[in-house]
Amino acid sequence: MRTYEVFLKREGKDEFRHAGSLDAATPELALVLARENYARRAEGRLMWVVDRADILTADESFLAPNVDRPHRHNDGALVAARRRAQRESS
Amino acid sequence: MKLGAPERAVLLAFADDEHLMGQRHTEWIGVAPFLEEDLAFSSIAQDELGHAVALYELVGGHDTEIDAYAFGRDRSAWRSCWLVEQPCTDWAAALVRHWLYDTAEWLRWEALSGSADERVRAVAERALQEERYHRRHADALLDALVGDEEADRRIGEALDHLLPLAVALFDAGQEASGADVTVVGPPLVELVNPWRAEVDRRFGPRPWSSVEPPAGHDRAVRSQHFDEVHDRMREVISLDPTATW
Repeated sequence: MRTYEVFLKREGKDEFRHAGSLDAATPELALVLARENYARRAEGRLMWVVDRADILTADESFLAPNVDRPHRHNDGALVAARRRAQRESS
Repeated sequence: MKLGAPERAVLLAFADDEHLMGQRHTEWIGVAPFLEEDLAFSSIAQDELGHAVALYELVGGHDTEIDAYAFGRDRSAWRSCWLVEQPCTDWAAALVRHWLYDTAEWLRWEALSGSADERVRAVAERALQEERYHRRHADALLDALVGDEEADRRIGEALDHLLPLAVALFDAGQEASGADVTVVGPPLVELVNPWRAEVDRRFGPRPWSSVEPPAGHDRAVRSQHFDEVHDRMREVISLDPTATW
């Protein structure tokens, strides 16, 4: 058995979203079982089934250096203030 | 278009097959070999029950009380084949029957999909969409098992037991003789050869000359296993005929 991750896309502009996971003995079984386990009530119009081992993953240590970067969280307040000041002075 | 008695007999035999196949499949709820399969098999069972409802409506007209018809009929009015009355308590047998039955079912729906009666045609076309998936499901499971020593042995034993019952399915019964081919397609017996070819392709060539229907097989006669499944599916309605569920 291998573990597969199931993604569904609804009709329209929604992106594919993670629906759940399942265990299956073969890729074909993963596909047919995913259909019944996650899409039998027409939850999606398109489905991706991906072997979990094929997903590239990054752990916390890989992502941690990005946590403490307040300067990358720009709420735009500073730029807005400068634009306002410029408008008023012109 | 009004259906005549022989055409209704063809559809009733199919409806009773679908009903009992669905009932028998539901026995795997909670006890299939793994969780994902548990859900998939029960869902397929529901599809078969849905086909039975559609066929019962064709047989009896849209004002038919389906529950009364499906659960309240006298046992002498049933026309199921014995294959679907079998318990199949071993998963290998349940899986092999799933494949054998659905392959036959596919051919039956194909025969009905060319019907001159548009209601029959509409039911068949919808069912074929579901059957395409049912067959893929059965094949995927068998593909995963074939080649494993224990699986091959158990599948072989199941085939030995079930093939005689499965060939008997293709006898539609006396009441169906003379049914209009433009309405219900070619006689059921003519589908046995294409079905055998499919079985040979899936499981290897079988010695068909020695595969005979079980003695006394007749859609008008109930097999020894009928009462057990019939009693079980009537458990609620027997307790309270007015129950809704």
